[in-house]
Amino acid sequence: MLEYAWLIPVFPFVAFLLISLLPKRTLFWEDGGGYAIGGAASAFIVSMLVIWDVINGHTLTGPAAPEATWLVIGSFTIKFGIWIDQLTALMLIVVSVVGTLVVIYSGGYMHEEGGRRRRYYAEIMLFISVMYGLVIASNYLEMFIFWELVGLCSYLLIGFWYEKPSAASAAKRAFIVTRVGDIMFMAGIIIIFKYVGSFDFETLFHGGGFASMPANMQTLSTALIFGGAIGKSAQFPLHEWLPDAMEGPTTVSALIHAATMVKAGVYLTARTYPLLVATPDSLILVAVIGGVTALIAATVALVATDIKRVLAYSTISQLGYMILGLGAGGYLVIHASTPNGYSAATFHLMNHAFFKALLFLCAGSVIHAVGTNDMRLMGGLGKKMRITSTTMLIGALAIAGVPPLSGFWSKDEVLAAVYHAGDWDPVFTLLWILGIATAFMTAFYMFRMWFLTFTGEPRSEYHAHESPKIMTVPLMILAGLAIVSGFALFIGQGFKGFMAGAIGDTPIHYEAEPLGDIAVEIFTDPLTYVSLVLAVAGILIAYRIYYMPGFDRSVFARGVPGAFQRALENRWYISKFYDDFAYKVVYGFSIVADLFDRYVIDGMVNGFAYLGANTGNRIRKAQSGNVQRYASLIVVGIVLLLIFVIYVVPWGRGL
Amino acid sequence: MIPIEYWLVFSSLLFAIGAYGVMSKKNAIVVLMSIEIMLNAANINFVAFSSYHTTLHGVAEASGQVFALFSIAIAAAEVAVGLGIILAVYRRYQTIDVDKINILRW
Repeated sequence: MLEYAWLIPVFPFVAFLLISLLPKRTLFWEDGGGYAIGGAASAFIVSMLVIWDVINGHTLTGPAAPEATWLVIGSFTIKFGIWIDQLTALMLIVVSVVGTLVVIYSGGYMHEEGGRRRRYYAEIMLFISVMYGLVIASNYLEMFIFWELVGLCSYLLIGFWYEKPSAASAAKRAFIVTRVGDIMFMAGIIIIFKYVGSFDFETLFHGGGFASMPANMQTLSTALIFGGAIGKSAQFPLHEWLPDAMEGPTTVSALIHAATMVKAGVYLTARTYPLLVATPDSLILVAVIGGVTALIAATVALVATDIKRVLAYSTISQLGYMILGLGAGGYLVIHASTPNGYSAATFHLMNHAFFKALLFLCAGSVIHAVGTNDMRLMGGLGKKMRITSTTMLIGALAIAGVPPLSGFWSKDEVLAAVYHAGDWDPVFTLLWILGIATAFMTAFYMFRMWFLTFTGEPRSEYHAHESPKIMTVPLMILAGLAIVSGFALFIGQGFKGFMAGAIGDTPIHYEAEPLGDIAVEIFTDPLTYVSLVLAVAGILIAYRIYYMPGFDRSVFARGVPGAFQRALENRWYISKFYDDFAYKVVYGFSIVADLFDRYVIDGMVNGFAYLGANTGNRIRKAQSGNVQRYASLIVVGIVLLLIFVIYVVPWGRGL
Repeated sequence: MIPIEYWLVFSSLLFAIGAYGVMSKKNAIVVLMSIEIMLNAANINFVAFSSYHTTLHGVAEASGQVFALFSIAIAAAEVAVGLGIILAVYRRYQTIDVDKINILRW
């Protein structure tokens, strides 16, 4: 089955072509929604077959995989191939499950958009197709092409309501900011290509090519490739585009900006692991960026009032966790030869995709009912929207890390990996402290959001009602997944044993231990209780402040906490810094460029035009309209010609 | 028998006089007359060469003379057309001074 994995992106792409090219009256249900569900479901089925093969221990990588030659340049060929290993399978699970459910949910959520649904479904299908392409790519160049295509789809879908100025500018911002990371990614693969002469994972991961590079170039190239992940996965300092990307439809936020595309950065980092473990300095960079991002984003989420922005900052924060886990995991691979950090981060990737997509779709259901994103205008929705409030509570408990929901297992694994990496570099101990602080804040802001939305009295006029079945059924499925996906840790050979196969040539001493022992290990480790206690404390504090009456929240607005709160509300002034930078520095440079263009470039062009016009003006005087002058010139010309033919030509011949 | 060179010099002079007239005279009628002189210079050449051919080969060669006759007929037609144009120009502009008829420019 694995050799047919290339079919996965084909189905959604066909759906994309059908939706965008068919005449309007043949689009049937929901202006193309039917084709979209068909395309997503076909890809889902093929993905599941592929995943089943991978779970049974088969992988398809390297020369055995089918490939097509794309370009031949001299003796060098660029190929499009597929690379199916455990990491690919993990991403396939995420993209296929969340993608299919989101498309189904869109059938209800986008119902009121009318004829614009056609554009929506076409773009969503294109996105799903290229996202599959990204995860099955077998070389960096192929990956980069799909990487840019998902960025394009993200741009198109954030700007879906392009007539709204904020959406249009958010789309541009997302595109431009991620482009900064993409340039770094490209620079990284170009450096590798310069030394190794290949983009193929096979050559880079299993051959000695990468090892033959100078050490500083190895570090530079992996750090630059990670730069691509910083942009795509919205890591500090390029994270500010993701909250703005919430201008798009909520389904887009759930699919692209929570579950799949932003995971591409984590996927890239995980995919580059065989190279990263050779460059410990880059691993430190990865871990520090991840830890700092997790903390900064979580603090901003504490005060956000827009329900989707809370989730966006939460997404950034959780992505920071994954990146931190990967950074720490590299140290564990190098020094302890265990796949713990790697498996924890990828495990968190999968769990997060489920519960964050769930949270976003619940938020979409709330927004659909209330008509606003502002939590200050909500309240008391719990009674009217029982399914949404229950499923969202499950999502919030999962992300807060309450056992036995999925977030608990993976977050705990990530924090444990970071703590153990502290044995080899003290910076990881510091990052572990950031991590548990983030865990506490995560629990707090999630329940702040939940209490503000679903409990208390309505704070504005609205007539909320539960969403239709087509929206609530995907919610229930995702809620189920958010509960059970954590138990993947205990299925079969265990999640660690499964993911250990994807790290590459680095020696991994993973001995399958009885799965019961893993659970015992988790629950006898005091670290587990540290994060658990903090999570529960966060929930209780949120309960005290936002649920129980009689708490005066205005204390946060005065004195030192007030200054702190204002800094958070302004997103640590990072966004403002970028705006000022764009305004002052870029604008100043633009003025210089403008003057240069107007006076130097335009001056040259105008000069040539003036020269031509002036010359013509002078020459036209020769055309006097006087026939006799023409006749005279003809005679003079003929005489000169005769002189030439009679005297000069024979003279020339004689020479 | 007058040598051919004499005829040629004569016709060249005649042609030059005609060309000079075309280039320098202001009156359009005089310009037309100058053109006639140039045509006749060509006719003289035709006839001169025809006669020269007969002298060289001893066989009568008529084509030069035939062409001269054609040329005279065409000259007559040309004068008719030319005078017609001059007449039309005169009616339009009240002048036949070629220096003043110069709107066909730029």
